Amino acid sequence: MDIDRLIKKDEVHRDVYVSEEVFSLEMDRIFGSAWIYVGHDSQIPNPGDYWTTRIGLQSVVMTRGKRDEINIFYNRCPHKGARIAEEGCGHTNGLFRCPYHAWTFNLDGKLRGVPYLDGYQDTSFDLTDPRFSLRKVARVAAYRGFVFASLAEDGAEFEDFLAGVKSSLDNFCDRAPEGTVSVAGGVFRVVQRSNWKIFFENLNDTGHPIATHESSYRAARQYSEEVLDGELPFELHIIDGNGAPPKFWSDLDLHAFDYGHSYMTAIFNAPDDPLSQQYFASLAAKVGEDRAEDILAVNRHNTIIYPSCSPHTSFQQWRVIRPLSVDRTLVEIFTFRLDGAPDELLQRTFTYSNVVNSPSSIVMTDDVHVYAECQKGLSTQGGDWVSQHRNAGQDQPYSGSEGGLIGVGTSELPIRNQFRAWHEYMSEGSGQSVSPEAS
Amino acid sequence: MTSVNPQPINSASDISYEMVCHFLYREARLLDQRKFTEWDNLFAEQGMYWIPLIEDQPDPINHLSLAYEDSMMRQVRINRLNHDRAWSQKPRSRTSHMVSAIVIEKICDETNRLVVGSAFQMAEWRSFGLRTFAGLYTHTLVVSDGHLKIGEKRVDLIDSGEAFEPIEVFI
Ligand SMILES: [Fe+2]
Repeated sequence: MDIDRLIKKDEVHRDVYVSEEVFSLEMDRIFGSAWIYVGHDSQIPNPGDYWTTRIGLQSVVMTRGKRDEINIFYNRCPHKGARIAEEGCGHTNGLFRCPYHAWTFNLDGKLRGVPYLDGYQDTSFDLTDPRFSLRKVARVAAYRGFVFASLAEDGAEFEDFLAGVKSSLDNFCDRAPEGTVSVAGGVFRVVQRSNWKIFFENLNDTGHPIATHESSYRAARQYSEEVLDGELPFELHIIDGNGAPPKFWSDLDLHAFDYGHSYMTAIFNAPDDPLSQQYFASLAAKVGEDRAEDILAVNRHNTIIYPSCSPHTSFQQWRVIRPLSVDRTLVEIFTFRLDGAPDELLQRTFTYSNVVNSPSSIVMTDDVHVYAECQKGLSTQGGDWVSQHRNAGQDQPYSGSEGGLIGVGTSELPIRNQFRAWHEYMSEGSGQSVSPEAS
Repeated sequence: MTSVNPQPINSASDISYEMVCHFLYREARLLDQRKFTEWDNLFAEQGMYWIPLIEDQPDPINHLSLAYEDSMMRQVRINRLNHDRAWSQKPRSRTSHMVSAIVIEKICDETNRLVVGSAFQMAEWRSFGLRTFAGLYTHTLVVSDGHLKIGEKRVDLIDSGEAFEPIEVFI
């Protein structure tokens, strides 16, 4: 396939969203090689705990071994192929046992026992041969509890891959008085009838809220005016934000980095209320007031860790993007406890998630709808190219320590940046993309 | 709508099984007729609409819920459903509720409360086709100013842990 024909400097061909052939190549060249988010180590606190999820279309199991190490293997029994662990979280007492013929495996995936072993004499079967153990994924790496894996032996080092957005993960955890976070409160799962890249493009797209979310911010404002004399409690404040005027959006900063990553500065702050003060005190008690102020001054909206996840550092949300097919995408939303912070802060994290990320969110439903409309429109012959022109060529190298590029808040920089990495991966490169815009 | 009970209700034990059934049927019918404001008026002032995320979820505060809405959030949802630019409501959701197996589980005269269990199915037609929700309702009904009101409507979906396409109307 000629990848180069699909990408121009500020446009992409519709085939990147609708072609089955492109999708299967992505599963191979992007999800088969990039560092993909698997889970958080707090989901498997004890040896024998496991978490079953997907990398691209591959079912994988993340488990904590006897020596506290984290193993990730394909969810496939080497005997007849049955999956050895069900989806979600679970616990096993020291070994995995296939439900089909009871082959057993240690927590590191090594084959331990096979019934009727006598019958295997004089065959090519060998209890110690790795091909009869659970197959491990090629590479596993973690940063501050966030576990990623790559299905390819070769490729970018994890450190290099993460460099641009490492500061977002630091801030995610530094906000906790103990310096660590834990998954809490369950998982929201939302299905979208659209290509996975459409969701990624939306995450830092500030051109859309005022149009897409009109019904919800008007609804919130109507209630506020009719019942509350214009006051906006936390829930309504979140919804109202999408209706901010154009200048508000263009005044934000967008930062873009190698490998398709980016982040956007915050669109609103946590309310200055007794809970925020109580939380600040709990953080300051551990790290000192100055440091606590510095930590909270780093206030970001969505960070994108392309091509698998998006943390929201200031409200402890973590979205994971799992492609299902060329026109179907699963988004999983995790919420985190800041270890050592007051319980009420976690309750506010849940409130934020209930409003913004629940399948019944009155905000997200219009996003999901327009993604599906794009998918339908792009399947027509009404035009081959998709525009990414907004502020193209105007982004500047960022002088701060993180480097990368910076653009005005309404630039399509993050989208163009994702496609630079996409192009690099799809041309069988490492995904690291040099930035033509800076030159 | 003619009332089954023209007499004002003084306490929980004044309420007959028939009145409870009628209340639940009427509630479902208001939703199917998109009379959302009238539906919302069935709630007591502090009444809550709750769809837990997990089976046997003990509380809505220390865990995520598919929905946990007070009067404010219900009314904002209603405002949105009635807004011209609710893009995902083009065409509007149409629903049909079936409520059945209604059982009065508890009557408490001191607090003037009844707990009523039932089974339901709701078919919903959206632009992407017809889908079904199924589960159990638990209504906590309160007697307030001579009327029966909803203190809490709990909707336990049998597939609450599933991946969903957006849920927009009340179930
Ligand atoms: Fe949006």
